[in-house]
Amino acid sequence: MSIEITSLTKSFGAFPAVNDVSLKIETGEMVAFLGPSGSGKTTLLRLIAGLEFADKGEIFFEDENVTMKSANERKAGFVFQSYALFNHMTIFENIAFGLRVAPRSKRLSKEKIHERVLSLLETIQLSGLENRFPVQLSGGQRQRIAFARALAVEPKVLLLDEPFGALDAKVRRELRTWLGEFHERTRLTSLFVTHDQEEAFEVADRVVIFDKGSIQKLGTPEEIRSGVSNAFVRDFLALDI
Amino acid sequence: MRRLLIGIVLAFFTLFLALPLIVVFQGALAKGLGTFLIAFTDHDILHSVQITLLVAVIAVPANALFGIAAAWAITRFRFWGRALLLALIDLPLWVSPVIGGLIYVLLCGRRGYLGPWLQAHDIRIIFALPGMVLTTTFVTFPFVARSLIPLMEAQGCEEEEAALTLGAGGFEILRRITLPKIRWGFFYGLILCNARAMGEFGAVSVVSAKISGMTNTMPLEIERLYNDYLFASAFAVASALSLLALITLSLKTLAEWENKRQFEAGQCSLLEPTIEGNGDQLKG
Repeated sequence: MSIEITSLTKSFGAFPAVNDVSLKIETGEMVAFLGPSGSGKTTLLRLIAGLEFADKGEIFFEDENVTMKSANERKAGFVFQSYALFNHMTIFENIAFGLRVAPRSKRLSKEKIHERVLSLLETIQLSGLENRFPVQLSGGQRQRIAFARALAVEPKVLLLDEPFGALDAKVRRELRTWLGEFHERTRLTSLFVTHDQEEAFEVADRVVIFDKGSIQKLGTPEEIRSGVSNAFVRDFLALDI
Repeated sequence: MRRLLIGIVLAFFTLFLALPLIVVFQGALAKGLGTFLIAFTDHDILHSVQITLLVAVIAVPANALFGIAAAWAITRFRFWGRALLLALIDLPLWVSPVIGGLIYVLLCGRRGYLGPWLQAHDIRIIFALPGMVLTTTFVTFPFVARSLIPLMEAQGCEEEEAALTLGAGGFEILRRITLPKIRWGFFYGLILCNARAMGEFGAVSVVSAKISGMTNTMPLEIERLYNDYLFASAFAVASALSLLALITLSLKTLAEWENKRQFEAGQCSLLEPTIEGNGDQLKG
């Protein structure tokens, strides 16, 4: 599913977190939002998910204007930095959650839900953990459960907010590779927020560099490395051009 | 120093908390168990127990609903007047309960703002049960909301946001995510609210007609019996009320234990070795 954003603005009090941002993301792309903290990249992601609402501008999913739609209508798969798993539920119940709260007319049968959850656990290579609780798992495992939970409802877009930010370097690299392979296989339109350039350049088809709420540079990793950059981008990437 | 401090606390505890409780039960049983039990066959006394329970049965669920709604609104949304609402929730704790009662007299009494209208429609609030329920609800309002707000503030709203992006609606999120997470804090607030609702004297005494056998709650009935020199009966009702307080106290302690146990269960399993040796490693 393609996503189009037109002159999106969002302020918190007097502070503009996202300032007049326009962007088009094509179906099947993996795009990284890269920037220092406070640059507005997470706010933009939350605006796209419907967890925040814009002051100005519009958001389109394909041809549909979703600007005023709530997050539960947009149903963009969202993965949080701190996993946000439901700690009082088992892993099975966590992954099944989105399927169980679906409207009755669209809800899968119990058997189908069971089947889907187990197959997702297999996809994320954590079969056999369905009766555990989130606190019994490691950080890397928890984040993969969060992926599976978001994927269970078959979203048309996946939004990842610093998905590897809370993990140690080794697990980060493993999960990054896994995510890259997953995206190769499924071609699910994905946006992910990161402050780690290595991560952005390795996984993403295109990288969007943010600072102070606006886009500073946009392009494929090669274009960004080789192209002309403004002072902020040069400084941020520590490029010697 | 440590011994001295503990000694002071224990002495204080004995003098101000344990002793009165013992005196109440002693007073109740002073003329034998027979007199004690006879007190609870008296129509007026039994009626006061009924009224007390009835008031609590209405006021506590009402405040359970208000409390959840207020805590949800305050911790999950940023809106104009939020700080004011937060301050107003505490109002019943700051003002004397008598004032809480007077507010309703000024509002609904014969000469109050709503008085003429209520009279025209033949609705009695002051000096009747509705007034007692209203004032009790007012006085006990902070308990549920106050025990939930810090809890919900600390938990944050990420899990609820996650549920939202998975397509869950507001009530679904409340039922499946929010309520299970706050259940012990909620239970804690409920029993505190209930204890206060049953024990309230000041506010209720302003709006009750204080007619024994009609509009007297247990605390009001205790005062009447005492003023009528019926000490044994007064202490009997007082001991029943104290018993309710003791039950509340043990339920509260139970809630705290259970909460702690569950919390620690989470903590302990964190320290457990994760499955497949180093759980962080991806297979394949």
